[in-house]
Amino acid sequence: MSEYVLQLKNINKYFGGNHVINNVNLNIKKGDFVTFLGPSGCGKTTLLRMVAGFYEPDEGEILLNDRRIEKIPPYGRNCSMVFQEYALFPHMTVFDNVAYGLDVKGVPKNEIREKVAAALEMMQLQGMENRYPNQMSGGQQQRVAVARALVMDPEALLLDEPLSNLDAKLREAVRFELRQIQQKMGLTTIYVTHDQSEALSMSDMIVVIRKGVIHQIGTAQEIYFEPKTTFVADFIGTTNLFQVVAGADQTVTYGDARLHTEFPVKSGETYCVSIRPECLHLSKDPVDGEINVEGTIRGKMFLGEKVRYFVDDKLGMEWIVDIFDPGRVLLDGEVFIHFEEEKAWLIDERKIDKD
Amino acid sequence: MKESNVGREQTGWRAELKVLLREPPLLASILVVFALFAIFIIYPFVKILLVPTSADWIRAVTGAEYLEAFRNTILSSLAATTTAIIFGFLYAYAIDSTDMPCKRFFPVLALLPTMAPSVVTGLAFIMLFGRRGFVTWNLLHLHVDLYGPFGLWVAQTIAFFPLAYITISGVLKCISPNLELAAQNLGARGWHLFRTVTLKLATPGIASAFLLVAINSLADFGNPMLVGGNYHVLATEAYSEVVGAWDLPMGATLSVFLVIPTILVFFVQRYYLEKHSYVTVTGKPVAGLTRVTCSPMAKWMLFGFCSFLCAAILLVIGVVILFAFTTTFGYDYSFTLDHFIEGVLVGGVMKNSWIASISTATITTLFGIALAFLTIRKKFPGRVIMDFLAMLPVSLPGTFIGLALIMAFNDGVLSLTGTIYIIILGMVLRQLPVGYRQAVAGLSQIEKSLEQASTNLGANSFVTFKRVVLPMLKNSLSVSFVYSFMKSMNTLSTVIFLVSPEWNLASVNIMSLSDHGFLATASATAVGMMLTIFITFGVVKLIFRDQINIFDL
Repeated sequence: MSEYVLQLKNINKYFGGNHVINNVNLNIKKGDFVTFLGPSGCGKTTLLRMVAGFYEPDEGEILLNDRRIEKIPPYGRNCSMVFQEYALFPHMTVFDNVAYGLDVKGVPKNEIREKVAAALEMMQLQGMENRYPNQMSGGQQQRVAVARALVMDPEALLLDEPLSNLDAKLREAVRFELRQIQQKMGLTTIYVTHDQSEALSMSDMIVVIRKGVIHQIGTAQEIYFEPKTTFVADFIGTTNLFQVVAGADQTVTYGDARLHTEFPVKSGETYCVSIRPECLHLSKDPVDGEINVEGTIRGKMFLGEKVRYFVDDKLGMEWIVDIFDPGRVLLDGEVFIHFEEEKAWLIDERKIDKD
Repeated sequence: MKESNVGREQTGWRAELKVLLREPPLLASILVVFALFAIFIIYPFVKILLVPTSADWIRAVTGAEYLEAFRNTILSSLAATTTAIIFGFLYAYAIDSTDMPCKRFFPVLALLPTMAPSVVTGLAFIMLFGRRGFVTWNLLHLHVDLYGPFGLWVAQTIAFFPLAYITISGVLKCISPNLELAAQNLGARGWHLFRTVTLKLATPGIASAFLLVAINSLADFGNPMLVGGNYHVLATEAYSEVVGAWDLPMGATLSVFLVIPTILVFFVQRYYLEKHSYVTVTGKPVAGLTRVTCSPMAKWMLFGFCSFLCAAILLVIGVVILFAFTTTFGYDYSFTLDHFIEGVLVGGVMKNSWIASISTATITTLFGIALAFLTIRKKFPGRVIMDFLAMLPVSLPGTFIGLALIMAFNDGVLSLTGTIYIIILGMVLRQLPVGYRQAVAGLSQIEKSLEQASTNLGANSFVTFKRVVLPMLKNSLSVSFVYSFMKSMNTLSTVIFLVSPEWNLASVNIMSLSDHGFLATASATAVGMMLTIFITFGVVKLIFRDQINIFDL
């Protein structure tokens, strides 16, 4: 038996001639919380639905605990899913909704009662057994949907943007709670979202997808600080991307600025560098020991905990600089953007991804 | 590069079949449906086309009386449809966009005639304006003969105006009031607003309603039979060929001719108009602000018009009730139950009608939903054909269906002639499109994710259908049950060839009694039928225990 609960091998899917999933390979370990992250239409939900069995891959294999499942109908898979719109049966009570899967399976009644009670307790829904979905708030409905999936003791739990219908405050609370339950139960989980903060805050592993292609697989920190492509750098958080030209002896140059890099760069080639706004600082004079770029402040936004400056440099690039704990003094006019060399991250792509 | 991708995509009927093979019960049920359709739809309709010889065809297109019947059919139905549509539109518009009095009362009244066979309008017409009509003879002492095109036109207009009203009302309800408010905000008023916005938006819907009413009046049998006099139309001509001259092939030929315009209309309606509509007839009414777009004068004119139509309807119903419960209305006004006992309780026709209709309603409702589940939610080769076959009978005149069935099931293994089964079969064919459509509309409103959630939790297609889909369709299920029951009780043209001495039906009885001058007994049967329908509604409402409103149909 392999160490992976779920394996996707060379998965390809086409819709009307469009290649919506392009040669996806992925291994998921037991108990991992894996997030599929990407813009809408990137194929993340398609991929999840293939695991659930609502779509069949045109090519490739899906293995669930070493069992080939890509041709098994959805009802034979035991991968419970929580739907974006919850999909609670409106004609059934909360109890009946949660009990549905067990009942279909033919589990004895008293066992069903125990299991449903346990699932409802875990989701803090005690006393609501006899309510109907339309008598509950969105947050409560969402809990029922999760309880209905958990009660099946799934081999993998699938969550399709489950928080997108909740308001911002509730979303954060549920996020934390979901993660705790998942860790307590040791549930292998796939979570689909387009919200990067959800992905960063919950996941053991993030899979960044774009146009059906996996751009990067890694932990939250890896994805954030060491993006493999300009798309990942740009999609996760805010970043400054600029083109540099490689010189001799492991250096790249941007205008007057010279950066050392450990990347095996080829002299004369163009590369791309990403640096986060919070890693940048502003001062009226250049700072020794750091990289300095001269520029002019073109705009600023006061956001409470920080001020976001928009600075144009001499090469026409617009920098975004976040200054935290700014006090009441705002900068203006000519400035130097400065940053520590090791904060900059070089991306090994031939050119900046334009689209 | 793109081309090479297309080849690897697994679509088309092979891929669909492969998925289907993994769920054998589903495959089996699809095969059963196709088998049923082949035996009960395709076979009879092919058979009726094969019965007439080339000589029959030639005789039909050269015979003067047939050509005249053809012309009469087109002209009379055009005339009746036009007036019914105008009346229906004004009625719907008045109720929908004015704040005139009796707004709640008018819709209910307009639907009353649909509770009785359309032939009742003809019957009332005879009793009021016939040769011995109450108005023409007893009150005015006139010797008039209104039988013929004029009488037919009046009777059909009143008979089909409710259908026009229901359809157009659905269209108007789907036009967002916000559009009219926006137009008013931009300065449009009164007639200009009506013409440029309301009427423009409603036009495709009205055209669609026009065709629907046209199909019904083309195929109408009872009214031409009763008040047409010597003015023959195709439906009555086919009937007299079969029943009068025992010329079955000629009857078949004429009924095929009747199919041509209705099929044409059906295709225009289904494949052209529906795609070019701004609003969908089956869509949900748009909630919005109440707005006033009519001047007070227009409002009161519309109110007068609606009152006039209601008076006509009440007159029809009223005269039927009066005839039913008086010894000889016009001469002897004493109250009696004799007609009622004779028309409703003796002979068992009402019981027969009830049994056949309740069976039909049950079959069409359940089968319609199963069909809709297959065509809407499942992918399989031949899905479009199944959808087409399920909808096809809606365009076929009842007389055509009836004739096709007696020709197909007269002998052999499936000899059904003279049984109640052939009656139920005819009614089911006629009502299936209604049950199917209703189920399609209901299913389309159910989130697909609910069914996916069910399969995700371990339920296969059948368990999902039974435990999730069916309970959620309860409402549209009860609507189509009630509707097909009512229509089956009332249908005349479909069953006219299918009844036998052993299995006669109330609607046929109303027609033949009035044809032979037993107006009081005919009226009593009609009243009994309306009562039966009302009582059944009540019982269904108790069973389903929900807020179905028969007037929302």
